[in-house]
Amino acid sequence: MSNETSRKIEKHHWSYREGTIVTGLILLLGFVIQTASGGIVLRIAGFPWNLIAGLIFLFLLVLAFYRWKNHPIMKWLGGVKAALPAILGFTFLVLLMGFVKQDVEPKSALVRTFGLTHLVKTWPFMLINLYLMILLGITTLKRITPFNYKNAGFFLNHFGLFLVLLSTALGSSDIQRVTMNCYENETEHNALDTSGKPVEMPVTIKLLNFNIDEFRPKVTIIDNKTGQIVLNKNKNPFELLDRNTLDIYGYHLEVEQFLESSGKVGDSYVSLNEPGSAPSAKVKVTKDGSEISGWVYSGSYVNQPETLKLNENHSLVMLPAEPRKFSSELNIQTPSGKNVTTTIEVNRPFHIDGWSIYQLSYNTEMGRWSNLSVLELVRDPWLPIVYLGIFLMMAGAAFLFITGKPKDGGTKHVA
Amino acid sequence: MEELNMWLDFPIYASVAILCWLAASGLFLSSGKKLMNQLAAGLSFAGTALLLVFMTILWLHIQRPPMRTLGETRLWYAIFMSGIGLGSYLRWKYKWLVSYSLGLAMVFLIINLQHPETYDKTLMPALQSPWFIPHVIVYIFAYAMLGASSLVALRNIFFAPSDKTIKGPIQMADNLAYLGFSFLTLGLLFGALWAKEAWGHYWTWDPKETWAFLTWMFYLIYIHYRFRHPSEHKRAMTILAVSFAILLVCWFGVNYLPSAQNSVHIYSE
Ligand code: HEM
Repeated sequence: MSNETSRKIEKHHWSYREGTIVTGLILLLGFVIQTASGGIVLRIAGFPWNLIAGLIFLFLLVLAFYRWKNHPIMKWLGGVKAALPAILGFTFLVLLMGFVKQDVEPKSALVRTFGLTHLVKTWPFMLINLYLMILLGITTLKRITPFNYKNAGFFLNHFGLFLVLLSTALGSSDIQRVTMNCYENETEHNALDTSGKPVEMPVTIKLLNFNIDEFRPKVTIIDNKTGQIVLNKNKNPFELLDRNTLDIYGYHLEVEQFLESSGKVGDSYVSLNEPGSAPSAKVKVTKDGSEISGWVYSGSYVNQPETLKLNENHSLVMLPAEPRKFSSELNIQTPSGKNVTTTIEVNRPFHIDGWSIYQLSYNTEMGRWSNLSVLELVRDPWLPIVYLGIFLMMAGAAFLFITGKPKDGGTKHVA
Repeated sequence: MEELNMWLDFPIYASVAILCWLAASGLFLSSGKKLMNQLAAGLSFAGTALLLVFMTILWLHIQRPPMRTLGETRLWYAIFMSGIGLGSYLRWKYKWLVSYSLGLAMVFLIINLQHPETYDKTLMPALQSPWFIPHVIVYIFAYAMLGASSLVALRNIFFAPSDKTIKGPIQMADNLAYLGFSFLTLGLLFGALWAKEAWGHYWTWDPKETWAFLTWMFYLIYIHYRFRHPSEHKRAMTILAVSFAILLVCWFGVNYLPSAQNSVHIYSE
């Protein structure tokens, strides 16, 4: 090595110090732009500009890497000394998010100017993300040329994350997310976007049937004076009424009759299956030898609940039943001529023509008598790339698990 | 059986398990004899197996996976922690690590004894997913491994004055941290895939997600630091210990943070 080149390397021997400075400058620049622009909420341009920008980014990254492959700064960009400060800088922003509540109206002017309540949509976040992508891209390229199967795990982890970061950043503005209020037996083709503006949808949806399965209701003891639930130290304040006998707050409860769906007739309850009917139970409650029996009723949007007075201080109440599962039977028609009937529920969305249809909610006041089903329709054209990245990272995690930590720290098979 | 609140039986299971583990730790630490070590290993296995039996009965009894309440996750942690302690003893013969892990597992059992967990059979629809079990199991397993690795790390920080004197257990801290980190990554990714199926968004930066991500980032820092500086043990061990502190915030502390209200991830107590 000539003196000339060794001095050059010496001069360009960037390390953690430079890494910290670069990361710091990026964060600073981000916050300065953010402040100067009055704390705006950032949005990436939509299709096709995001795709074009992404392709140009990839092209430039690969080109720059092969053009300056042996330049010390390029080596530094693909090494831990740049990566660690960058990861720390990103961690710093995420820590801010961990302490400042996100997606709410900023309370102070300072929080607003810095964009602290919507950090993921701010300049510093986007810039550090971009920087991480550049580092990830370069370190991946560095390791795969020439390719060595020992670097497979490394490739999966880093390229996987690269894809996830790139596709979530670029794809964020192409995501369409709307909610649709469907009433039973009515055909709907209008929806509301996230800001509440109506949008016309290409698909039409008819709600054939909305159905709720409920858990049995819970019972609890309340204080007659305050109406508050009596709290027992270290004990659950509620008991699920799915057994014939149970003990709660020193009372012994025996269920004589349980009606899934009922209404009041005279002084007692009978099985009924009409809108507004609700669960009820005839119970016998004993404590210290005294015994009381009577009905408790959970009530609904039509009917008053019924409590059972146990003594001067306490009453037994039945809480509204909680949903076990809710589902909507839908008929869906698309402009492409598809006509399908399907049932969706929470955790079981339906996918059609690029749209995913989710069961979101219903009229909770009416509970299982709700004739409204709220659906969420999401279109996310970049999803396959996000998923590809996630699956690569999963494979990478499996590699990490199998190979564990390299004995020498792992630097051996690295250029 | 039907009318019994399973947790009423918990003190019996827990005390027997604690007795087994105390005896096991005592034997491990006091005796060098092979037979005594085998007996100790048997006892620590017995304690873990007993809790597994309790967990199985509980699962059958409440008709939903017992992974919802803080008490249930603590119980899983005690099971995995003791299991990993025993596993690492069988694999590497570090007796002090079994004793530490058993000690930590006992702490979790004792917390559960003092706050007898209530029993709530309802499970909201969003949690009724095939992803639920792998997501939680992988996470608790990761937490148990990382917990064990930070125990090793703390031991190294306090008992070894310089980088040179730290030897054997270092490898162990690294192994546990790498394994734990790979599970942590899987748990995070499972969570993202599940969220997409349930809500249509894979990541919403909800406070629990944010802190889970932070935890992952800290271990990521550890992995990268370790890669470049394989012999600067002391600093690496410090990063491990700090990372575990972040993990604990994620697990227990998020509920108390100002940034967290109405999160789906808050465990019901
Ligand atoms: C956040 C962005 C990341 C950056 C900028 C980054 C950067 C780097 C760099 C520069 C190296 C050293 C490579 C070399 O010197 O040849 C490295 C090593 C490593 N990284 Fe990352 N990395 C990132 C994320 C990840 C992720 C997500 C994982 C795992 C899930 C990971 C796991 C590893 C491992 C295990 C090594 C050691 C290499 C080996 O054992 O082959 N990194 N990383």
